[in-house]
This record gives sequence, C-alpha cells and structure tokens, in this order.
Amino acid sequence: MSHATLHPTPRIADALREQVRTVALSLRGPAVVALVLLALGSALAIAEFVTGGGPVDFAPELSMLPGIVGFLFPIAVWKSERRFGISFLWLLPVDRRRHALVKVAAGWVCLMATVLFFLVWMLGLALVTGGNILGDHAVRLLPSAIVPQSGTLDPAALRTVLYAPEPVLWLVPFTAATGAYVLASAVAIGVRHPLRWAIGVPLSVMLVSVIGAAANIDALRLLASRLVEFIHEGRYGLDALLTARAESLNTAVILATGKTVSVWRGLPDIGEWAVATLLWIGAGLVVLVAASSRQRERRRPRAPVSP
Amino acid sequence: MLVNLDASDARPLYLQIMDEVRRALVVGTLKPEDPVPSVRELAAELVVNPRTVLQAYRELEHEGVLYVRRGQGTFVAPDVQPSSGEQRALALGVARRALLEARRNGLGAEELVTMIRELAAHEGEPASPTPVATGGTNA
Amino acid sequence: MSPIISERAGAGAGADCAVSTHGLTKRYDRDVALDSVDLRVPDCAVYILLGANGAGKSTALKLLMNLEPASGGTARVFGLDAAQHGPEVRAQTGYVPERHDAGYTWMTCGQLLRHASVYYPAWDHAYAARLSDALELKLERKLGRLSKGDTRRVQLTLALAHRPPLLLLDEPTDGLDPVVRKRVLALLAEHLADRPTTVLITTHHVHEVESLADHIGVLRAGRLVAQMARDELQRTVQRYRIELPDGWEAPRDLVVAASRSSRATREVQWTVVGDEREVTDRLTTAGARVRDVSSLPLEEAALALLPVETSR
Repeated sequence: MSHATLHPTPRIADALREQVRTVALSLRGPAVVALVLLALGSALAIAEFVTGGGPVDFAPELSMLPGIVGFLFPIAVWKSERRFGISFLWLLPVDRRRHALVKVAAGWVCLMATVLFFLVWMLGLALVTGGNILGDHAVRLLPSAIVPQSGTLDPAALRTVLYAPEPVLWLVPFTAATGAYVLASAVAIGVRHPLRWAIGVPLSVMLVSVIGAAANIDALRLLASRLVEFIHEGRYGLDALLTARAESLNTAVILATGKTVSVWRGLPDIGEWAVATLLWIGAGLVVLVAASSRQRERRRPRAPVSP
Repeated sequence: MLVNLDASDARPLYLQIMDEVRRALVVGTLKPEDPVPSVRELAAELVVNPRTVLQAYRELEHEGVLYVRRGQGTFVAPDVQPSSGEQRALALGVARRALLEARRNGLGAEELVTMIRELAAHEGEPASPTPVATGGTNA
Repeated sequence: MSPIISERAGAGAGADCAVSTHGLTKRYDRDVALDSVDLRVPDCAVYILLGANGAGKSTALKLLMNLEPASGGTARVFGLDAAQHGPEVRAQTGYVPERHDAGYTWMTCGQLLRHASVYYPAWDHAYAARLSDALELKLERKLGRLSKGDTRRVQLTLALAHRPPLLLLDEPTDGLDPVVRKRVLALLAEHLADRPTTVLITTHHVHEVESLADHIGVLRAGRLVAQMARDELQRTVQRYRIELPDGWEAPRDLVVAASRSSRATREVQWTVVGDEREVTDRLTTAGARVRDVSSLPLEEAALALLPVETSR
C-alpha cells in the first residue's frame, strides 16, 4: 500500500458539530428534570397571580440562575466521559488536547441554548402575568454606599430615583453563564478530582477563619469573609460578572421606624459590568487553555535504541 | 466445488488448495469452462488469507489449469486434460503421503504396494492400474 | 543463544513494513512489560503475535495506538511515529482493544456507530450496515446493557467499517461463541480480499487464525524471542523421531522444545528448533538415528518456541 493514500483525520468543524449533538443527547435526562422543575415553578407563580398575587417581574440581571447553571454545566458535559485515563475518545483519530477544548465549546453551545430557553420562558411568564420586564421602575437609593446600622436610618434620607435598566443587560445571563462555565470547565479538564478541590478549598478557607477566631487573630478570622467579599463583591468581582452587581448592591435595611425596606447602595454600572465580564471571561479562557494541557497526548521524542 | 482443507496437513496451504482443485477436475465435479469460486468467496469459506488463494490460483493459471476472464472471474481452462497431468500430480501427492506414513510405521515401499493391491482386490477393484474417470470407488 | 529473529524479516530495518518498532520498551514502575522489542510487520501481512498472558502483547498494541507513552524506543506505523503523530496513526488503524467496553454506556449501538463515523472520513456506511447485519448487532440496545460478546461485535464493526490500512486486533474473538467466531474470521478473510490490509492479531485461539496468518512473532516476558514468516517457522521447528543408542548423551547446544519418550523402546520424539539439515547432522554425529522428520501445525510450532531458553 502506498503511504501516500493515508486516511485523513476528521475536520474540527465536523468534530464540533458531532460533539454538540453528543452533549445535547447526553443532557436529555437533566433537561427533562429541569423542565419539570421550571414547569412546576411557573405553575405556582401563575397560580399565585391568578389568586390575586402580584405579577411576575423578571429582571434578567438579577437572576443568579444562569451563573449557577453555567458553573454546574461541566458536570453534566463530562459526566459520561473519562477525563483522565484511557477512554473511548483516546481511540479516536483526534488530538486529545484540542478535542477536549472542542467538547468544552460544544457544551458552551448547549449552555447558551439552555440560557436562551430559560430567558424566553421567563419573558413569556412575565408577559402573561403583566409583569415588568426591563421597564423603568422606582428604587430607593441610600445616601451613601455604606450600609447604615439597622434602626438608625431616617426614611427621609432615602432618595427615590427612576432606574432605567439598559437593554444590554439582557446579555448578562449569557455572559454570566459563559464566565462561570469557562472557569468550571477549566477545573473539569485540568484537575483529576474536581470534587476534592471544590470542597477542599472552601473548607480550608473556613478552617483558617476558625483558627483565627480561636486564636483571636483578627487578620485570619476575617480573612475568609474579606476574601469572599473581595472576590464576589469587589468592583470587578464575581458578582459584577454574574449580575452586574445588582445582587450585591441591592440589600434590605431596617429603618428607624422599624420597617424593613429594599434599598440600593448604588446602581449597576454598565461600564463596570463590561470590564468585569471581559476580565473574568478572558482570565477564564487563559486558565482553560492552560488546563487543557493536562489532556494532551504524551509525546516522547526519545532517540531510538540501536537495534 | 467443495474444498476441504486438512488442519493436520503441514503442507503449505496454497498447495493444498491447488490439489483440491486438481482433485475436483479428476473426479469430475469441475469441468472445462466451469467457474471456480472467487478469491473472496473461497477465502471466506476456508477462512484463509486471500493471498494464499490468489497464489494457488496464479500457480494453476501458470500451469494452464485455470484462466481469468476479464471482469467475469476465474474459470477452468477449456483444454485442460484431467486425466493426464492432473491425475498424475494428484497420484504423486497421494503416493508420497502414503509412503511417508508407511515408513513411519516401519513398512517399505514394496510391502506397501502389496498390501494396497490385496486390499483393493478384496474390495472388488481390478488389480491393474486404471485411470479413474468418475468417482466410482466403493469406499 | 540470540533470539530467533529471521534474517529476512530484519532486512531493510523496517523500511517497507507497515509496522516497525525499534527498541520499544515499556516499564510500569519496576515491571518491564516490553523489553527492547523490534517488531517488523510487513505491508499487507497477517501477523500473529503470540505469548503467554502478561507477555506484553496487549501493551505492544497499546503503544502503537499511543494509548500509553513508551518508556524507550520508537514505534512507527506506515512511517509515522506513533508518539508524535498519534491522531494520524489512529486514522489508519482499526483497533479492537482487549477490554470489553465500547464507549458511552448511555448510547445505543446505532448511535455509537453513527458517532464514530463522523471521526473517520473514510467510513463506509454501506459496509458498516452489512457488518452490523452479519454480526447481528443489537442496534437499539444501549451499550451499557450489552453482554461481553455483543460488545465485542460492536468493537469489531467499529474497527472494520472505515476499512483502515492497518488492523490491530487484541483477542478479537474473545467472548464470542464458536459460531460467531467462525463468522468473524470469515468476515476478516473477505475484508482482506476486498482491500489490501495489514493485520496484527493477538489471540489465544491460534488454530482459528493460523490459516489466515503468514507471519508470526513470539513474545516472552516482554522480549521478542522469535519473528518470522510462516513457511520459515515450519521449516525451523520440526518433529524428529529418533532412535537412541544406549548411554546416549544429547548434544548440549541442541534446542529441544518438547520431547516425548517411551520407556519400552529407545525411541524418542523431539521437537527441535533449527535448520533441518544441521539438526539431523548433529544428531547423527552424536550417534542417534533419525527415523523421521515431520512438520508441525503452526500453533504447535510457534508454541514450541515459547519455553525455549534464551541465554543472555
């Protein structure tokens, strides 16, 4: 046989298309479960609406759900795949490292479809119940960014402003899910036992706090909370990625009159959100590509032993 | 044409196949211009490397026993004389094997021939050698 | 005594070989699975790799597919370094692994075949359909629910359907009942007739595949102790029926693989490795009388090489 007639390896586009199909197929189970839950929740909401309760408002940036789903998605994507060790994938004529990234990309496509479906569903629900979607609404603003002690705030100090959410905020669920997914995927393909890390790291941080509290070292005791605050609620923190900081800016305080009201420490800034998104997704991609090197096929360019 | 290969026969497989074809010719199951099984068919039937079958067919082609009709397959040559060269080659093979077996059992060639004649006579066959045109032994 | 590597097989240093390894070594911690193996599988050959369990046969095949990195040496498939060009090598290869697991347990057979077909641009859909018919694949059943034999059939279909130039079959008929085994081998023969293919098989059922084989290699504890064409093997390993005089001493350098003797007569039957004329000469000079020399069926001849002691 002439060596010139070698069989070709598959094209990346074909592999990607096939992986989207495979991932989608493998997600049938969880999809059904999720659909059932969504249907149940919607039924309850509609029931409440019909019996006189309020309409269903949907603010796309406020929902943490896309971010959470994006973070958990790789579990489903890689569940049936042996990520380390000889698997069916290893027998195929593909570069393993590249194919791992192809699979991540395929999972991302399915994720975006899921988020879109979720968004459309919620939109429908809000429309049906006459709820507010991306419309202007009045919000109470605190005089300063510092949250006052409960019971000290004078109601008159609150300013009521009209908050007009920008339409670009409709992208937040997609970017939030993407950012979370990229980071989680990096862990999935880069680490042999992600569960150990997922439990181990928070546990260690908590341990440090406990030790700090026991030994009365303020720096350690507050380390955990400060770390979380910095990562999550910083200007370009995780919350900026996930909800354009709407989650952390929105809080409840007890007024001097004893009433509890929902107030905002500040309003979501689109510029900050854009920067945070780019930073997180960019960093995530870098980590992902680095992690993919753990999937590479080992090549050992050893000099041949003389026969 | 039914081909049977003997697993315990240590001869090269292509020779065995060639002998089987010759046997079929002598016995009459194969006649001139008859098609022989394709390489693919025979290889699958015998579970034999197709190259072995090809080698056998090529040798037989070289000897003028078979010929290839382009696009139609392999056939028995029209002018093949089963009762001349083929029978002789076949007989040679049988004789060689019998002689080897005899020696293994401590028998000489003459003893073997005598025994064969006795046995054949007992079974009702003429004692003098006759070319066998049909497969008519009472075995 | 150096390993019985046939001279002809070593010629050309593997230039025209479909598969050639040079000093291929694999170590698992202290355990040496393959020790400086120089495999030569000529183009379009059907090569049986024999050896006891744990001799390194499966390891050799895994290294060719680059499923594990070699500890030393190189492996080449059609001139491509298996370690450097893993994907390209695998595109030319149909592999049936030793283990009986075909892929995603949640997929059905049909889905798996369709999935695999995307990864092999050379996939022949019509042929795949004929194979799944012939092997009676349960296309609608999930892979996780298949028996050992059914999984094996799927693996065989996967390996053959894209008509690869090289087949690496690790115990291909393992787990199959005798009827199906025969059918698989007949399919293999047809497959070889359709297109020139190089085959490297490891199997415990040598007698099944011996009529397909034209080359043989024997692994013992990771070393390739013999590698030669089939005719040469049958010429090199033969059974000698010998009559011994009293007080007879065997020549020390005679490689006797197996022997049978009867106490009553002075006759022994030895399976000896070596050139027939040389061996006969040596025996006769030593005073024995060689009554008979006969060839052995392939399996016996190859197995005779297994316990042969190779002094280093």
